[in-house]
Amino acid sequence: MINKKLIKDLLNESACSHNKDKKSSCDKPKPGATSGGCAFEGAQISLFPYADAAHLVHGPDTCLGASWETRATLTSYEGENNTPLGYCTNVTTQDIIFGGDKKLAEAIAYIVEHKKPKAVFVYETCVTAMIGDNIDFTCKEARKRFGIPIVPVHSPGFVGGKNLGSRLAGEAVLDALVGTREPKEIHPFGINLIGDYNVTGDMWQYTPILERIGIKVVATLSGDGRIEAVQTAHTAKLNVIVCAKSLITLCRKMQERYNIPYVSVSFYGKRDTSNAIRSIVNAFGDEAMSKRAEKIILEEEAKLEERLLPYREILKDKKAILNTGGNKSWSIASALQDIGIEVVATSIRKATEEDIAIAKTYVPILMKVPANEQAKLIDEHNIDILLAGGRSLYTALKKKVAFVDVNQEKKVSYGAYGGLENLAIDVCAALANPVFKLAGKVAPWEN
Amino acid sequence: MGELKVMKPLHVNPLKLSQPMGATLAFLGIKNCMPLMHGAQGCASFTKVVFTRHFNDPITIQTTAVNDITAVIDGGEKGISEAIANITQKVTPELVGLFTTGLTETKGDDIKGACALLKEKQKIVYVHTPDFEGGLESGWALSVQGIIEQLIEPSVECNKDKVLLIPNVNLSAIEVEKIKESLELFDFEVYALPDLSDSLDGHLGVKQGALSSGGISVEAIKKLGDTGHVITVGRSVKKCGELFKAKHTQSQHHHFDTLTGLVACDDFYKTLLTCKGWSKPPASIQRWRKRLQDTLLDTHFALGKAKVIIADEPDNAYAMAKALREVGAHVEAIIAQRSEVQELFTCNVSVGDFEEVEKILPKMDMLISNFHGERLAHTYHKALLLRGFPNYESVGVGLRHNILYEGSCTFLCEVNNRLHKN
Ligand code: SF4
Repeated sequence: MINKKLIKDLLNESACSHNKDKKSSCDKPKPGATSGGCAFEGAQISLFPYADAAHLVHGPDTCLGASWETRATLTSYEGENNTPLGYCTNVTTQDIIFGGDKKLAEAIAYIVEHKKPKAVFVYETCVTAMIGDNIDFTCKEARKRFGIPIVPVHSPGFVGGKNLGSRLAGEAVLDALVGTREPKEIHPFGINLIGDYNVTGDMWQYTPILERIGIKVVATLSGDGRIEAVQTAHTAKLNVIVCAKSLITLCRKMQERYNIPYVSVSFYGKRDTSNAIRSIVNAFGDEAMSKRAEKIILEEEAKLEERLLPYREILKDKKAILNTGGNKSWSIASALQDIGIEVVATSIRKATEEDIAIAKTYVPILMKVPANEQAKLIDEHNIDILLAGGRSLYTALKKKVAFVDVNQEKKVSYGAYGGLENLAIDVCAALANPVFKLAGKVAPWEN
Repeated sequence: MGELKVMKPLHVNPLKLSQPMGATLAFLGIKNCMPLMHGAQGCASFTKVVFTRHFNDPITIQTTAVNDITAVIDGGEKGISEAIANITQKVTPELVGLFTTGLTETKGDDIKGACALLKEKQKIVYVHTPDFEGGLESGWALSVQGIIEQLIEPSVECNKDKVLLIPNVNLSAIEVEKIKESLELFDFEVYALPDLSDSLDGHLGVKQGALSSGGISVEAIKKLGDTGHVITVGRSVKKCGELFKAKHTQSQHHHFDTLTGLVACDDFYKTLLTCKGWSKPPASIQRWRKRLQDTLLDTHFALGKAKVIIADEPDNAYAMAKALREVGAHVEAIIAQRSEVQELFTCNVSVGDFEEVEKILPKMDMLISNFHGERLAHTYHKALLLRGFPNYESVGVGLRHNILYEGSCTFLCEVNNRLHKN
């Protein structure tokens, strides 16, 4: 069952600074003027990277039919990788009339029998919440029968947006998995990585560096994640939130329950990556480790600079405008600066108070209504490249400046030191491409 | 051959897309239209993302964003009228296409009543498209039926030279355009409903509009009542033609299950010749027919030995299977949803998902399916042809042309060459 009190608490989360802001993503969606995904999507994004668990969506088609195998969340799991697979109970009229519990139980049994997953997540969606299926009970019975975690996730889309769904997913993991297994040994410098889903392998850009410093990743939520690992997450010494404020509630609760402190970091760009490593290391207060970390940071930065050399020549004196949402408004800005680009303006249209405060420290001009402002700014500042969502392509063509769609599903990682080179390659390619001056060319029969 | 029923309590790697998604596409083929999905926000968001990535073009859609409170107490009117108010504050749609989802159908919302209340404020067509029934094709077809019922004005006239083309959802923008052009060669005045050839054909506009970027105009739809011939392509839209004919009894209905392959195209042109009382089609069509004859012979050698599995929406799977059978290919088909067309297949066909595809694939040479087939084709080292929704891997999906004599040639050659490459 959906827990109304929990949802209210999650929306009022004290550790979350943006709930004072009326325009925040926590607000109710406005009919006819809403574009974001639903709570189910948020939950799915947060949990699907557990490749050793099956993800069963209890509902009709729309929820899963349109969303499976869409995110490049990589995994090193050697068993059958469930991340690109889709399981759906495909609720039909029949089930709506007679209830979907039996079908759900059968579907779980089918999956356990045929796929042998380490756990099954069961996602409640709008229709199955509406018809009042007793998902908790069905999951409990299945758990007894099969002896593996069968975890209900109460995330029907009508309760709210992606952000809330991600919180609900965090709650499900905390309630059903964390603390249900004891590890063989407890690492003195163990951390949990929270909120990095390892899209295009982002996480792997920095986890080897952390390991070299002497830090062990105990569990993740949920990039390259494993069920058995997250069951021992309570034994980590530190929670590291990677660019995901939605999971602060989870971290706060883990602090209360297991006494695990948390830090919030970003691994975009050189400076932020180095700072992220320092925040993690500092939390342990181990001098030898801090020294080791500084040495490794120096090495990595030097290596990166060497690789960036050929691009620096092209990118120096280049000016950019960034128009994207959320924490990307500053994290990508910071990365762009690290490859030598001057970021003249960034959009804060959909950013939270906190994001705006951070963005201020990176970029001089903050655009409130970028659609109206960016064209003028391109002229005034002689901008070379616009990094934005697809909608802004028309502005770029009109102004004949290079364009990168930053909201598109990315194909390569831009994360940490290694990913920065990929960003430099893509930006250089856009700058060198004549297409942006050509595609908007006026036809010979028009003037 | 009928259906091999798959008895499974779930879909593993679903092939099926939902009815509201089909409705969305239908309304995007009408000019200055706003598709409005009546449900919680996520369905519209997923739909937008899928089609944006598929077409590589911006997709217009809004949602009534049903949330917790309204879900429990009211009948839906409040959300719908609020949505219309918020939409019309920013833009002036000539039409709002309102369609339901599983959530609002389970609630039992009275969308007809809600639309009646809003009649003065906004022209709306309403459609019931719960996602626990049907699929992409039926969502599209139900929307067309809604438009025929609710928009077309009665007419006493009958213009024998006016054609209404109703394509099924699988036809690409260019395919719709090619049929229209072909009909124009027969001196018909042609309208397509919906008309994606003018909206989702991948053209560069001046800016990104807030409404559908093209399509048949509402004005033109209203005046379709005097249409002399209604042509339906694909079993999923046959009922639309029948409905039109029932309402406009002086018109003639011509139905074609497919326009791919020699036999199908011959049927099509024979009908047009009869309508016009002509003895021969224009020269370009005759020429393309000869090219197709030659292509049949050129490809029969490789394709005659080929084993192909098709996983797609029923109408599209049927069209491709039939064309491939003409050159002797061994075909198996998995279709996304039930359809009357499954009775017509001359090969094995069943309703299923990609788990079923995976069971058959090892014995086959080639897979034809949406982008989800890529991983499978790769795993089993099979040739792959991407068709159907969604396709995130190719660009130019709106430009694909696999129908009529010309497109049938392209189709057969492409299958042949893909097989060869593998
Ligand atoms: S809004 Fe509800 S029905 Fe729609 S995708 Fe989200 S959970 Fe599924």
